[in-house]
Amino acid sequence: MLIYILKRLGLAVLVALCVSVLAFALLRVQGNAASALAGEGASAEDIAIIIRTHGLDRPVVVQYLTWLANVLQGDLGTSYFFKRPVAELIVSKIGNTVILAIMSLAIALTLAVPLGVLAAVYSGSWIDRICSGISLLGQALPSFFLALCLVMLFAIHLRLLPASGAQTWQHFILPAVTLGYYITPPFMRLVRAGMIDALSNDYVRTARAKGIPSHKVVLKHALRNALVPVVGLVTVQLGLLIGGSVVIESIFALDGLGYLAYQSIGYRDFPVLQAVVLLLSLVYVVLTLLSDVVNAWLDPRLRVS
Amino acid sequence: MGALLTVDDLRVDIATPRGTLRAVRGLTFSVNAGETLCIVGESGCGKSMTSLALMDLLPRVAKRSAATLNFADTDLSDRRKARRIRGNQMAMIFQEPMTALNPAFPIGDQLTEAYLHHKGGSRAAARARAVEMLDLVGIGSPAERLGQYPHQLSGGLRQRVMIAMALMTDPKLLIADEPTTALDVTIQAQILRLLRDLQQKLGIAVIFITHDLGLVSRIADRVMVMYAGAMVEEGTAAQIFGAPRHPYTQALIECIPQPGRTARGTPLGTIPGVVPSLVGQIEGCVFRSRCPLARRECESHVPTRGAEGHRWVCVDDAPAPALEGTTR
Ligand SMILES: Nc1ncnc2c1ncn2[C@@H]1O[C@H](COP(=O)(O)OP(=O)(O)OP(=O)(O)O)[C@@H](O)[C@H]1O
Ligand SMILES: [Mg+2]
Repeated sequence: MLIYILKRLGLAVLVALCVSVLAFALLRVQGNAASALAGEGASAEDIAIIIRTHGLDRPVVVQYLTWLANVLQGDLGTSYFFKRPVAELIVSKIGNTVILAIMSLAIALTLAVPLGVLAAVYSGSWIDRICSGISLLGQALPSFFLALCLVMLFAIHLRLLPASGAQTWQHFILPAVTLGYYITPPFMRLVRAGMIDALSNDYVRTARAKGIPSHKVVLKHALRNALVPVVGLVTVQLGLLIGGSVVIESIFALDGLGYLAYQSIGYRDFPVLQAVVLLLSLVYVVLTLLSDVVNAWLDPRLRVS
Repeated sequence: MGALLTVDDLRVDIATPRGTLRAVRGLTFSVNAGETLCIVGESGCGKSMTSLALMDLLPRVAKRSAATLNFADTDLSDRRKARRIRGNQMAMIFQEPMTALNPAFPIGDQLTEAYLHHKGGSRAAARARAVEMLDLVGIGSPAERLGQYPHQLSGGLRQRVMIAMALMTDPKLLIADEPTTALDVTIQAQILRLLRDLQQKLGIAVIFITHDLGLVSRIADRVMVMYAGAMVEEGTAAQIFGAPRHPYTQALIECIPQPGRTARGTPLGTIPGVVPSLVGQIEGCVFRSRCPLARRECESHVPTRGAEGHRWVCVDDAPAPALEGTTR
């Protein structure tokens, strides 16, 4: 198991390095970096100074290594638009996004796993149709519409929860419910399909033959095997969520990474964009590593390779 | 010796788009404590459905009914009571050892599960019992095996684990549905010997299901021959092999390749003709479409004949002994 994890870790580091090269290239291929840095209406002299101070005249490899060393020390450059260090900017936003992402995911899983299991156990019956219906609704409703409904009901009508902002944990409930419900359907479908497949397996019959209670057969023997593909989807969804949901962050005035990325594209704020790209790629690398480890725990057959 | 398992008029109906498929058509039989009953018949004749019906493990599309379904004075049609017997006093092993174990859990966990559920007690006691059972089925260094996963074991070992698992709760009846079919020949012989030894050592009753009559002669006390969901003949191993009365049994015996008797290079015996559709009722004898002796009377009700524990379903009290040459 340890060897397996170390191997995966090595692979993850390799992927991370490739990503850093791409992120580095992003800033270089956007045309003339020096004139972009100097800003509008800069003289040729200004640009020459910038080229020297930023080392833009040195070989690309040296530039990359310098840049990488800076990144590793937490120096991601300065935002063109906000005129603040990019690292500081990201740290101030990422907290909100991560909290929202994890809460949404938790909500999605607490909805999707029981619904999927029920739908699979009673597949073809009205219970299956109700469970599938609940999850399908999440897909059919535009998230902004659900968000507005929730705000109307819980914030304006019942006055139970705040409608916008990110000051307390209560502020995260409505956006997390909206986002969580929105991402429930793929999870629910995957759990349902995985459970139907698992329940048709011989080992489930063996478990039944032991006379142990049905709920234990379903929740222990079948669910454990059905969860393997779900872990992969968790990885992808969590990555997407940390990338930020511009719509939800805007509606609930939740100042997070999604909104920052959106702004940086608009303002052609390349250092910020570069940092966001780098960060999200690394998030994916880490999540993939985590999901490999979790899957190896769930399915011992994966541990050998 | 009273019967351990009594089955009267067992039926299994499967709803299919073409109509109700009657997989088991009114089986009546019993198993005495400590004896081995072999159920033999061609593929699709309802052997698995019969065993699954006894264990209440039928797929959802299949419906079971029976006039009597008794195990050691417990009515198995009472599902609550049956659940306390299943996996406890009555255990089952399956044909496919490669898929019958859960890939996600170590075998120690799977071995102790039924024991902990039915017998209670500590985890340590259950594991000690598991080690004892693995040793009994001939698995070396059993203590280390508990932490292994099914994919780390060969097919033969997995079937041994399945047998050990079935024996954990000290059952009175073991149902083995083609336990050796998926294994290669040498392993097959080992598992068969193991089952026979265990049966003698522990004195448990065994229902051994197979389509291979050759295996039957090596382990059976009694044999029940099935055809198209129905019993056609039942008797002691000596009666079935020494004096088979039903033409189907006779044809099956003819099909067993025998060293010395079956000439090298001759095609292995097959019974000509096709099995009737199992959808709907079959009037008269189930075997008549393939029977070399079939005649008019076979189309109406066929009596069950019998003497001294030997039963067969045929219009003839004693079919013509010479059926040689009817099989090819
Ligand atoms: N799920 C199902 N749906 C429809 N028909 C089925 C189903 N399972 C089994 N059958 C039918 O029931 C009949 C009896 O099947 P069963 O599995 O008991 O045969 P068997 O004697 O065990 O054969 P084998 O030697 O191949 O294991 C077969 O004709 C089969 O086609
Ligand atoms: Mg079968």
